[in-house]
Amino acid sequence: MSEAIGIRSGRRWFGGREGAQKRFVAAVTLPTVAFMAVFSVLPIVWAFALAFFDFSPRRAGTPLLGLGGDNPFVGLEHFREMLDTSVDQSVQVSQFHTALKVTLAFAFLVVPLNLAITLPLAAMIESVHQRAKPVFRTVFFLPVLASSVGVAIIWGFVLHPQNGLLNGIIRSITGKTTQIGWITDPTLVFLGIPVALIAVIVAYLWQDIGYNLVIFIAALQAIPQSVKDAARVDGASAWQTFRHITLPLLAPTILLASILTMISAFQVFDLFQVMTDGGPQDQTHALSLDIYREAFRYQKMGWAAAVSVVLFAIVFVISLAQTRLLRSRWEY
Amino acid sequence: MRRFGTMRWFAVALVSMLTFAACTFGGEEGGGGNGGGGGGGGEGEAVTLTMWAHRSRSFNAAIRNAMRAYEAEHPNVTLELETFDYDTLIQTLQTALPAGNAPDIIHMFGTWTCSYKDFLAPVPEDVVTPTDAQQVFFPGPLGGFTCGDVLYGLPEESNVEYGATLVNTAMADQAGMATDGWATWDEFIADAKKMAVIEDGAITRAGYHFTAGDGLAHSFLSLILQGGGSYLNEDGTAFTLNTPEGKRALTLLKSMVDQQIIDPVIYNDEQNWVGDCYFTELCAMGLVGPWAVADYKDDYPEIAANTIYLELPPLEDSKEFIADSGWGMSVSTDSPNADTAWDFATFAALDAENAAAWNLTSGTLPALVENGEGAAKDKLVSEFPYFETWFTILPNARFVGQLPDRDRLYYEIIYNHALAAFEGLETVDEALQLMESEANDTFG
Repeated sequence: MSEAIGIRSGRRWFGGREGAQKRFVAAVTLPTVAFMAVFSVLPIVWAFALAFFDFSPRRAGTPLLGLGGDNPFVGLEHFREMLDTSVDQSVQVSQFHTALKVTLAFAFLVVPLNLAITLPLAAMIESVHQRAKPVFRTVFFLPVLASSVGVAIIWGFVLHPQNGLLNGIIRSITGKTTQIGWITDPTLVFLGIPVALIAVIVAYLWQDIGYNLVIFIAALQAIPQSVKDAARVDGASAWQTFRHITLPLLAPTILLASILTMISAFQVFDLFQVMTDGGPQDQTHALSLDIYREAFRYQKMGWAAAVSVVLFAIVFVISLAQTRLLRSRWEY
Repeated sequence: MRRFGTMRWFAVALVSMLTFAACTFGGEEGGGGNGGGGGGGGEGEAVTLTMWAHRSRSFNAAIRNAMRAYEAEHPNVTLELETFDYDTLIQTLQTALPAGNAPDIIHMFGTWTCSYKDFLAPVPEDVVTPTDAQQVFFPGPLGGFTCGDVLYGLPEESNVEYGATLVNTAMADQAGMATDGWATWDEFIADAKKMAVIEDGAITRAGYHFTAGDGLAHSFLSLILQGGGSYLNEDGTAFTLNTPEGKRALTLLKSMVDQQIIDPVIYNDEQNWVGDCYFTELCAMGLVGPWAVADYKDDYPEIAANTIYLELPPLEDSKEFIADSGWGMSVSTDSPNADTAWDFATFAALDAENAAAWNLTSGTLPALVENGEGAAKDKLVSEFPYFETWFTILPNARFVGQLPDRDRLYYEIIYNHALAAFEGLETVDEALQLMESEANDTFG
């Protein structure tokens, strides 16, 4: 009996149409799976492993992947250190705490601002004449295609204290020499938020809104016109239709957009690196920058891996919470 | 057996790839070792050597000149230079060295060398012994490449960032400033104030730019030495920055900011870096070594023509200042052609004529004692006049020492807290206290 099953199963793989299909599936899947395994899964596993070692690539360690020996196993020591809030905490711990605060502030400002801009903008673009829509979509989507480093450099020029566009405008209005260090003056604070951080947020939003805009336009187009027409027949105003019909039906898209934006906001690196390099006085020292510096500038690869694990955990938990909170009860 | 066939092959292929990838990640020690090698002879097998260096127009041109000269004498050898910007070179070294993927030759910054010694080949005795090296090289550059009693590279540069300042003579003339030097810091500050331009309360031209990462760290540590203090304890196991000498040094630097010679909010490492600032005429004086002139002079010939270096005034009688080790050539333990690699390093760094040519093109002071004295020195000065002041003060340079984490100390700790003190975010005392405790953390 079992031999018969074995033969039948073998035929499924090696003979007949079903077998050919499976071989085809395996052949086309293997490169992708292998690529993912080598370039995604393995680095993640490696990062998790490193988080438990005091690993520095400057030290040779043992022949087993360089772990052990001069790169000793430290267990949960890195994570315990991260919880150290005493005054004599080490510089890397205080940098981590700063980076955590900066990243949380950045992400929790960027997500609502992004949604507050893109959603009404998408609704407005949807309401313009059919021929004008592609023009607006293109204009707002173009910055998404730009390199982040290029965007950072351009914004750096705009905000440059001597030759920057913004100070130039102020100078031409006031007639006075203006050298405001928008991204270098640590004393510039607006509503408790450092201006340098606001500058990075503005640059990020400028580049990123096009992405969510396209998502929202697609979602708006998918809402059946009949539902809106029914509301209008019932006497609903344009605002009431948007508030009570469009918005609830967009909930799954809002969830998707907010999760994607939140994840990308936690991962932003190039804008921070190129625009401010974490300054002034660590006011824009984000977690991604902290990981990069600890790993590649100060060679504390084990510590950097532990910070990466924390970043992963934060993104995971927040995404999970967002999924629960914004879960849609509507379908259409 | 057959029923698992395809899945098994699938799994085996996947595991093999993962294992292969894991093995290339790191841990492999030694690689090709020191031996083998095509030797330095001119008629041996064809040998191709790769060298990594940081990206700098003048440095890279100097290295390429040395490579072409060596290839002309050794037709069987091909030398390839790969360059990376400063941060990328550090990252690439960190990943490539443990993974056994390092090039044959690395243009290494001396102060980093001991951090990577596990992956670097000691200089062979037939090239130069550590004892002989002490007669051949200046102590500053040699100090960085010497770990314990072992030499891990051949220095090419005496790196100096402090001791003299760039001065724009045209601006000095305009300001009515004599360019014959300063006896005291008060005189210097008075002249720097004359050269600064302030419009509507904003400094549109800095009198003296010292607030970049290197400049600030070198100034602070050098002034501690000149004030009779020491930034390290006797056995080099702890930093001593929060001292009366440290306070005096930081207070002096802060006084220049308070007197509006420079605004660190606008002139710092991130914006208006000292080289850019000086050569775009936003700064009248700037603290940076002569290599910067070599890097900028082709783009700004008029500014270079109006540039001289003047010695900075001493704090007390002492004129001592700190110096990093500078760039030099190391050979990786992975090199299968280590003999040829050392032969090239010897050709470029130990041959006085070739080393001098390298220094001239890169605008760096020589590491070879032979090139820092007598006729050789005069020849260097005649061809690159910016060296003149530096040669005068070079005997006062002291190797900064083996620091546990030089880059973090300079660019994260001293830079951040000094700027915080200048900008009034921390008092001088608070800044010193934080600097010392954070610096001591780097000992681990």
